[in-house]
Amino acid sequence: MAAEGIRAGFPSPAQDYMNPFIDLNKELVPHPTATFYGRVVGDSMIDAGVEEGDVLVIDKSIEAKEGDMAVCFIDGEFTLKFLSFSEPDGPVPVKSSGKVRKSYDILSHKELWLSPANDKYPAIKVTEANDFTVWGVVTYIIKKVSRK
Amino acid sequence: MGSRDLHNKESVEKIIYMYALADCNNFFVSCERAFQPNLEGVPVVVLSNNDGCIVARSNESKAMGIKMGTPFFQLKNLVDNGLLVVRSSNYSLYGDLSRRIMSILADAAPKLEIYSIDEAFMVMDGMDVEAIKAVSHEQVHKIRQWVGVPVSIGIASSKTLAKVANHFAKKHPGYKGVCAIDSEDKIAKALALTKIGDVWGIGWRSAPKLEAVGVLTALDFVRRPREWVNSRMGIQGVRTWEELQGSDRVEHENDEKRKSICTSRSFADMITDPDELMLRVSDFAAICAKKLRSEGTVAGTVGLFIQTNRFREDLSQYESGTTIRLDVPSNSTQEIVSSALRIFRTVFKQGYKYKRAGVIVTDIVDADAVQGVLFDYDESLRERENVISCIMDKVNTADKNFLRLATQRPGHYSEGIRSQYKSRLYSTEWDELIEVR
Repeated sequence: MAAEGIRAGFPSPAQDYMNPFIDLNKELVPHPTATFYGRVVGDSMIDAGVEEGDVLVIDKSIEAKEGDMAVCFIDGEFTLKFLSFSEPDGPVPVKSSGKVRKSYDILSHKELWLSPANDKYPAIKVTEANDFTVWGVVTYIIKKVSRK
Repeated sequence: MGSRDLHNKESVEKIIYMYALADCNNFFVSCERAFQPNLEGVPVVVLSNNDGCIVARSNESKAMGIKMGTPFFQLKNLVDNGLLVVRSSNYSLYGDLSRRIMSILADAAPKLEIYSIDEAFMVMDGMDVEAIKAVSHEQVHKIRQWVGVPVSIGIASSKTLAKVANHFAKKHPGYKGVCAIDSEDKIAKALALTKIGDVWGIGWRSAPKLEAVGVLTALDFVRRPREWVNSRMGIQGVRTWEELQGSDRVEHENDEKRKSICTSRSFADMITDPDELMLRVSDFAAICAKKLRSEGTVAGTVGLFIQTNRFREDLSQYESGTTIRLDVPSNSTQEIVSSALRIFRTVFKQGYKYKRAGVIVTDIVDADAVQGVLFDYDESLRERENVISCIMDKVNTADKNFLRLATQRPGHYSEGIRSQYKSRLYSTEWDELIEVR
């Protein structure tokens, strides 16, 4: 439905240069088919500026790497943590896809840790005993600032 | 294409298609698992509308012997004892994930024919089998990672054979989700392992009759002479017979078939009375439903717009419209009308003079594509609706609707439907997202 009616006279010269609007979907969601959202509960990432109620933009098309903030599923619960390895700079064996839910690469002997950003909580070492998967990598955090 | 010369002897100039049928594994269950990974490896079933009976099963619940269509009350004790997990159907979730999957597949194929909510044929003309396999493996991996749903792909030179191939891809983990039946040898082997009742196009009525005369497998079937098949099952049977041998005989989805149907009018006199406008809108919706039925299709989305007269700048202007997704694609007059009226109640504003309104139905697919998936969706209700719709079609002429629905009352549908075990609208509702600690 066109919004413009028929008007007499010259059209505005600015019209040709007008961008309709900034589309946040376009800017923040390069892979819409792979992007989902999550709601933060608790304060385990408070020192990284992530607070309860914030909304996470989760892009499942991204392969998880060392240092990524990721939504992980561990033993029945979604958790938000930084991915880190006991040996830095090692290749990251964890993939968020596939049926195999190996938590770490036995051959490389690198341990996967889920690190919170809050001293109150310990880092979690992921072992084969855990039911674990990296669900998706967090790309943006949406935070409501105004009170209304 | 190694098998190019083996068939289509009499029509060599015809383009030979290769099909890759992508079919989601236990789709509804897999959608639930995508957001509840703790349900992996656990027996899960999904219920029909109103929590009536089983419409989807995980492999684990299949292994327990649970059959499609089982009334839920018969299994409730399993759920109460923690042996089975149950979910009410969550069509908004399934619809969203389906849309994502179809869009990924559409990017990978020269042409995509969406067959149902969880199935689509990638039409791979002119590509060789190895390339098609490579693309298919890529899609299986991508959809699993991006959307979280496992998909299997069957490749062959006819749709019916692609279905058979898909079956194998699902059943045998060795294929890693992709199976191609691309030589006469493989065709014969696959057909020998396929029960006649499992063949696409062999109805549950024909299967027992065929079995009674010794046709137990698809291979038994293709070994019978064409005339034998023709005399017993007619041209449709012959098509299946040819398709099973690799010839592409299923008519291609008619490209001319409309992707949307719009019925809209400018009114001679502007309308201010909501009841009057509602009546017009109902008629438009009814016309759309009738057109759908006449071409044997169903629509997944219903849209409505209303607007004032833009050229009367002296009058206050208003226009609005939106669309809603149907739980199950439909061509029933009741369902399309009540959906249009539901939108009407949200967009209508008092105090304006309306000049134009229209109903648009989109996401149109073949009606039989839907029945396959949701065979028991309140079947008795559907049947009744279909009968009513047919009577209405007969009585109503194109421009005069003598019979109108009494169901044009607001809120007739979608209220009071049971869905006691429904998961959240994880991907479509801002207030129902996954919670991350």
